[in-house]
Amino acid sequence: MMKDFDYQVVVVGSGAGGAMAAYTLAKAGHKVLMLEAGRDYDPKTETPMFKTNGQAPLMGAGNVDKDFGFYDATVDGGWTVPNEPYTTGKDSDFLWWRARMLGGRTNHWGRYSLRFSEHDFKGKSRDGLGADWPFEYQELAPWYDKTEALVGICGTNTGLDDMPDSAEGVLQPPPKPRVPELLVAAAAKKLGIPAVPMHRAVLTRPKDDRQACFYATPCGHGCSIGAAFQTTTSLIPMALATGNLKIITDAMVRKVDVDSKGKVNGLTYVDKKTSQDIKIPAKVVILAASACESARLLLNSKSEHHPNGLANSSMQVGRNIMDSTGTGLGAHIPALEGRPIYNEDGHTANHLFIPWWGHKSQTKGELDFPRGYHFELGTGFRAPGAGVSGDLQGYGKSLKEQAKKHYGAGVYLALRGEMLPNEHCYMEIDEAVRDKWGIPVAKFHWKWSEHELKQVEHGLKTAKAILETMGATFTEPLPSAEQAILKGGQIIHEVGSTRMGESPKESVTNQYGQTWDCDNVFVMDAGVFASNPHKNCTLTIMTLAMRNATWLAEQLTNGEL
Amino acid sequence: MAKVIKNDKGALYQSTISRRESLKWLGVLSASALLPSLVGCDVNDKAVDVAKEAIKGHWPDLSLPPISVKGYGKDPDMIIPPSSPWPKTLSAEHLTLVAILADILVPRDGDVPSATEVNVPDVIDEWVSAPYKRQQDDRLTILSMLVWIDDESTLRFAKGFAGLSSVEQLMIMDDVAYHTDETPAQYKRVAAAFSRFRKLALAAFFCSPEGTKDLGYVGNVPIAGDYPGPTDEAMEHLNKALANLGLAL
Ligand SMILES: Cc1cc2nc3c(=O)[nH]c(=O)nc-3n(C[C@H](O)[C@H](O)[C@H](O)COP(=O)(O)OP(=O)(O)OC[C@H]3O[C@@H](n4cnc5c(N)ncnc54)[C@H](O)[C@@H]3O)c2cc1C
Ligand code: SF4
Repeated sequence: MMKDFDYQVVVVGSGAGGAMAAYTLAKAGHKVLMLEAGRDYDPKTETPMFKTNGQAPLMGAGNVDKDFGFYDATVDGGWTVPNEPYTTGKDSDFLWWRARMLGGRTNHWGRYSLRFSEHDFKGKSRDGLGADWPFEYQELAPWYDKTEALVGICGTNTGLDDMPDSAEGVLQPPPKPRVPELLVAAAAKKLGIPAVPMHRAVLTRPKDDRQACFYATPCGHGCSIGAAFQTTTSLIPMALATGNLKIITDAMVRKVDVDSKGKVNGLTYVDKKTSQDIKIPAKVVILAASACESARLLLNSKSEHHPNGLANSSMQVGRNIMDSTGTGLGAHIPALEGRPIYNEDGHTANHLFIPWWGHKSQTKGELDFPRGYHFELGTGFRAPGAGVSGDLQGYGKSLKEQAKKHYGAGVYLALRGEMLPNEHCYMEIDEAVRDKWGIPVAKFHWKWSEHELKQVEHGLKTAKAILETMGATFTEPLPSAEQAILKGGQIIHEVGSTRMGESPKESVTNQYGQTWDCDNVFVMDAGVFASNPHKNCTLTIMTLAMRNATWLAEQLTNGEL
Repeated sequence: MAKVIKNDKGALYQSTISRRESLKWLGVLSASALLPSLVGCDVNDKAVDVAKEAIKGHWPDLSLPPISVKGYGKDPDMIIPPSSPWPKTLSAEHLTLVAILADILVPRDGDVPSATEVNVPDVIDEWVSAPYKRQQDDRLTILSMLVWIDDESTLRFAKGFAGLSSVEQLMIMDDVAYHTDETPAQYKRVAAAFSRFRKLALAAFFCSPEGTKDLGYVGNVPIAGDYPGPTDEAMEHLNKALANLGLAL
């Protein structure tokens, strides 16, 4: 099939990392073959725009088939993937969200897109924990600018120490804040905590072939007009238009192949439509199958020269896995009861959020945990669904009155925080269990440390203080951190399984995502993260993929590879 | 329009939605819905026992066969969602009871239709007939509640709930529709179950176009240009709220 297409690079995966890598290489004139395990997917025709929950089974409520609701754009994925199990170690809880579709999880991600800062890249230098990244923020800043401009990010330069500014003219204007967000901001301000416009990969101005947001239809359903960034309406069609990209869907890569000297020279994938194994040659391989799938692939690509798995002489493949910490606290806010109704859809996610404000207190040693967190806000007059809030009593007229009084009067603060790597959080291959294609599955081990628990405890207290300042009352005591912290993987920011670093001893790749052991194998997903700052990971996945694929393109052009 | 038709035998819910009916419940329920403590009682003792029973409370011990049909899967058509993703399972009697209860919860209010008029019973039927865990749990809760209501009605008035006058129906409602610390022990269980039903019925009502309008949700319409933000009226309300709380933007 690929006889007349002389590709130089094979990219595994079409999500945030894979699509950015492929786009960058294709634009630079290199021919790329992309292998994607999921089915082809076209948001233009498949997105359920303007559909109401009432038109869906079960009022749109989620279940094992559609975990985040009937209309969630995720195809053939979620907390479970048919025919593709994974296992967990004793006493370990880990949830692994996967999507099997062109565009991967970018079809339905939350689009929150916050830059990491110098502070974030050099945590270890500061507090001795975890690992530093092998470059400075200044090195990445121009790549963040380029990525933000290409992806389309709305937000503002806040000047806050937790939010590095973008170059002038890069960000698109954010939408106006809504009433409950303003109330949160006012309450937080009284406590000395800022609330500012969220940065989101949502266009508020048209760009390329993509339209600006029209402030309706939840982005998790996908966005047929291309306003909410997903690779299937942007990077992938743009890369295809260069003529330098070919994609094979339903192609589940089984392993990376090596020659008799141990040099990578190809890949084997399962054509899911026929269940046949297909071997293809490859000069350069980019793994972007998502952090834990890429690590699984490396571990499953054992050979005589690579007995611990490919690129694993450091034994760090599958180690250092981090997710974001997650918890939250909500309350009914009497001051919001019966407020005048208006259209609060906006871009259907946070217009304001609370960034990490504690850098200074931390420096002064006033906090008993090392890294930061932010709050995302859950509020608003939402489209009706399968849930109705409030402690409702009785029947008839008074019942409806109670429900209407509660409508739009709840506020939820969701904590997303930085976790540190620890020796109990890792993945390996479970040799005893195979997926439908006969590929050994991943086995996860997980344990939160004191750092995360202390942080969550602090976050719950802070959330309570903010909600109380808004007039909420709490009759129940706060849950303990152990009870409140969500499970590993549940925030869906898994990173670190093939981390980058300064030396082949402690890391799997160099700063360009090039594996130390195999110079023609790159990782361009969140596996390479050396730490997992509280800011959602995907903007940085794409920024690194753009920078590192640009470096790779130069290597190819110069004949270094 | 779907509605409850009253006739001399009681009432019957008539749906406007054509449904692939499977009437399995009657058999299952008539066996399990018997009041355990009344079984074997002499008819003459009944009045006395009923009084005792009301104090202790009763609860039908239903054993429902699991729903084993398939769900809609991980790649359903989202543009034209399946209108009947699995067979509905409520019997005509239970559907009627659901309809009566739903209309007590959400009666017609001027121009605003009642729950039944916007097909809430069909949504409940779809919900309790779904093969997923949460829905199967709700199925047991809600069917037990339905059976309890009919049992209670029979104990108090020697008739099923559908055959009662509105005043009689509301006498029972007043005992089950409040789930608070003060709820008497014998009603705690049914009040909890009824709460679940109340939320589902209300959600189904608000999910209908008429209910959505009644709730006041005005989104899901495209806006040209920038998002306008809060109205002046909404900001005025906020400013008052801020002043009351001693806060400032
Ligand atoms: C509901 C939700 C909300 C989120 N919100 C945010 C947010 O607001 N901000 C944020 O930064 N992040 C968010 N995320 C996380 C974000 O989606 C991921 O970080 C991002 O998509 C990861 O990109 P990726 O390229 O590594 O992986 P993916 O996007 O998962 O793409 C990987 C692709 O590789 C394919 N693949 C896997 N294995 C193989 C194989 N063996 N062979 C071939 N192909 C394979 C998969 O099918 C998939 O399509 C969210 C995620 C979810 C689920
Ligand atoms: S809210 Fe805006 S960005 Fe999100 S899906 Fe709708 S149109 Fe697209």
